[in-house]
Amino acid sequence: MARFLVRRVLSATLTLFAVSVLSFLMFFALPKDPVTGMCPKNCNAERLERVRQELGLRDPLVDQYVGYMRGIVAGRDLGSAQGGHCAAPCLGYSYVNSEPVTSTLSRVLPVTLSIVIPAAVLWLALGVGLGMISALRRGTAFDRLAIGFSLTGASLQLYFVGAVLLIVFVYNLKVVPVQHYTSMLENPAKWASGLVLAWVALAFLFSAIYARLSRAQMLETLSEDFIRTARAKGLAKSQVYGRHALRAAITPIVTIAGLDIGGALGGTVITETTFGIQGLGRTAVEAVRGGDLPTVMATVLISAAFIVVANIVVDVLYALIDPRVRLQ
Amino acid sequence: MRSRVAAAAGAALAVVVLLGACGKNTGQGNKVDNGRTPTGVIATDPKDSMGPAAPVPGAANGGTVTIIRQAKISHLDPQRVYSFAGLMTAPLYSRSLTTWRDDGKGHLTLVGDTAETPGKNVNNDCKTWEFKIKSGLKFEDGRAITSKEIAYGIARSFNPDLTSGPTYIQEWLADTPQYDTKWDFKANKTSLPPGLTTPDDKTLRFEFAKAHCDLPFAVSLPSTAPLPADKDTGVNLDLQPFSSGPYKITKNTVGVELVLERNTNWDPATDPVRHQYPDKFVWSFGADPEAGANRVISDSGADQTALAWNGIPSSLVSKVAGDQSLKGRTLLEPTPSANRLTINTQRVTDLTVRQALNYAIDRDGLIKSLGGETVASPLTTLMPPSTLGWKQFDAYPAGKSGDIEKAKSVLAGKTPELVLGVSDDKDGTEVGTQLKNNLEKAGFKITVKTIPADAKLDETKKKNNPWDLYADSWAADWPSGASILPPLFDGRAIKAEGNSDTSFLNNDSINAEFDRVLAMDPAAQATEWPKLDERIMKELAPAVPLYVDVAYYLHGSKLGGLYVGSIFGYPAFTNAFVKP
Repeated sequence: MARFLVRRVLSATLTLFAVSVLSFLMFFALPKDPVTGMCPKNCNAERLERVRQELGLRDPLVDQYVGYMRGIVAGRDLGSAQGGHCAAPCLGYSYVNSEPVTSTLSRVLPVTLSIVIPAAVLWLALGVGLGMISALRRGTAFDRLAIGFSLTGASLQLYFVGAVLLIVFVYNLKVVPVQHYTSMLENPAKWASGLVLAWVALAFLFSAIYARLSRAQMLETLSEDFIRTARAKGLAKSQVYGRHALRAAITPIVTIAGLDIGGALGGTVITETTFGIQGLGRTAVEAVRGGDLPTVMATVLISAAFIVVANIVVDVLYALIDPRVRLQ
Repeated sequence: MRSRVAAAAGAALAVVVLLGACGKNTGQGNKVDNGRTPTGVIATDPKDSMGPAAPVPGAANGGTVTIIRQAKISHLDPQRVYSFAGLMTAPLYSRSLTTWRDDGKGHLTLVGDTAETPGKNVNNDCKTWEFKIKSGLKFEDGRAITSKEIAYGIARSFNPDLTSGPTYIQEWLADTPQYDTKWDFKANKTSLPPGLTTPDDKTLRFEFAKAHCDLPFAVSLPSTAPLPADKDTGVNLDLQPFSSGPYKITKNTVGVELVLERNTNWDPATDPVRHQYPDKFVWSFGADPEAGANRVISDSGADQTALAWNGIPSSLVSKVAGDQSLKGRTLLEPTPSANRLTINTQRVTDLTVRQALNYAIDRDGLIKSLGGETVASPLTTLMPPSTLGWKQFDAYPAGKSGDIEKAKSVLAGKTPELVLGVSDDKDGTEVGTQLKNNLEKAGFKITVKTIPADAKLDETKKKNNPWDLYADSWAADWPSGASILPPLFDGRAIKAEGNSDTSFLNNDSINAEFDRVLAMDPAAQATEWPKLDERIMKELAPAVPLYVDVAYYLHGSKLGGLYVGSIFGYPAFTNAFVKP
């Protein structure tokens, strides 16, 4: 296990290195000049050039990249135009937000985590639970209802479901407050009520997909020989379904859940936009629109890190869930 | 006597000039009122510049005013504030040398803010200006504000790190657009830029190489806000400005929330325009325009005292306009943002063609295509009605929908082929289609070519751009013709790119007239610019005036005192209060 983990972490580091190089190059390849973004008006060509030099944008590309990476590890001095010293992990300075990018990320990451993690718990519990029960009660009214639910959920879009939830519960019934992030540590009740519609919207859409997937996997597993053998040996239903069938059926679901959650942590752009909550995804989109390239680069890196970490977690979970898989 | 003159005049008169037709805060209706002729005054009596400001009828102390906006305010540092949201918020926490007293109905008075009057034109040549600073001014920590802190605030605007703010005063003092190389702020933090002096704690003096009669207007921008040198945190001041106004920033969560609470060291007796009615102002960022408007429409909880800053989106206009219960909660007024169809006079050299375009234009049809009177209000002059001294005229009278026959007769059988450049977004496409259909009826052959929306401004500012016509807009920093006509039509400033004179008009006679009027004091200028506006239109027709933008806002049922400011055309907060 330890060797596996070390190998995966090294591989993940290489992946992140590649992403960092690519996103850094993107900084220069994009048509948007970061300096014009910093100085959108009242900056003539001479002044823009002085700003470019001050920011080190005329230094060799390799030097700039090494400086950036050194900043992540040890911090660096960005100069007075970018707020002076930037402590590690320094991801640059956002001239759009007038603050170090790490300050922006430390503010928006908890928001995205607060949206995604509870929503993921909901959609996995609801989706997998519904799918499993549906498979066990195949052909019953419950099964047909579950299929209907999953079809509906899979065919709707988040911006539509979100808008409906807002109109009904916030603007008309006024039973839910305007969606707004409050730290869980500051006020757990406000935290929950301020995000509940985002959780429900995400859970509704994702759980529909997981319900279909779980049902199909469970049905396939239930037709396997080892399940028939287990039944023939006289095992209790709960043991057959819970211990043998579920573990086998859930493996591919874990893979998809890992990718989904990893991707969502990288930014639930539509959810955040629909509910007007400033998380990582929305920050990334606004950074792209505003030409805030240090923030773009940092959000790309963070999103990549989430995906890479999610993959490692999935691999480890595989081994824990399915004894046939060994971590070599 | 002459030494006591305010503004540029040199005479101790409050000069009343006619303003144009501004709309009114309808309150009870959804019609833009274009029939009023408000006034503009440059106050000379120091009493006019002292507080307290006249009480707002019905106003009460307490409560929180919430302003819902999609995006954060780009800059809060007074020396960097230049966005409309910033310009409307800055007066809450910073004071400038002069400011505008605005009654919300278009009646404007330029008064001293930190200064006792809107300035003294010492030699009556607009080259030397002196401002006496009021007593009793304090920062949020209780320290007194003197001319030294005001001068330091102006000096730090030379810091090249502090981008995005207005640059008038820096360029005027340095007498060059390269002001930050002429005087290096970072190397001279304990001194002042050339031409700026503080003979004593109560006096601030500007000495320019050239005449700048608009100085009293220019110093009304937040870039003249005071700052003690020891509170200058460079670019980081943008997150936490140091207050000299009635409120101070107590919380700034970038992109999420900005909270301003009362500054107990602000003295209303020194302030002629601001109040301190609400306990707090809270900017709530994130909600898109639809969500923001829906929150205010639903009018529950904290949103009863909220304003939807992004206005009423087109998808909700009919709902709001049709709901009688919402009419008392709307603001509907024309803004100073003037839109015109620019004619590239380098390419369209035939005056009769330019005149025919003016006769043919169907403003009514164009405004309907844009969304109607809640979006735009017709304009036949180059300057918007909110300009000091504005006078209504129509150089090419053709009715609301244009006079196609008159245009044809002016063209005398010609069928000019013109290229119309429009942005490739929804508005640009709609305007392009409308103008093509409209102008082709008069015999023009219009080829519509799209320009990427984010590049249109830069591309049309290039001298050798390939279009004959393009839609432009101009919102001046102060309501003087000096900040409109010379930037737009003085051809001596034409360069390869980055031109404001996008008509590329360069007429010696007009240029000389600009020089003549600019050398006059602002009050006298106010009567001259409308004449020049009319002359440019009649003699040269370098553009087709189209419309001014209309501001359409909705606020909660318990929010009072809001009005659309006459300078920038956005909601002003100085009179805001929470209804009991």
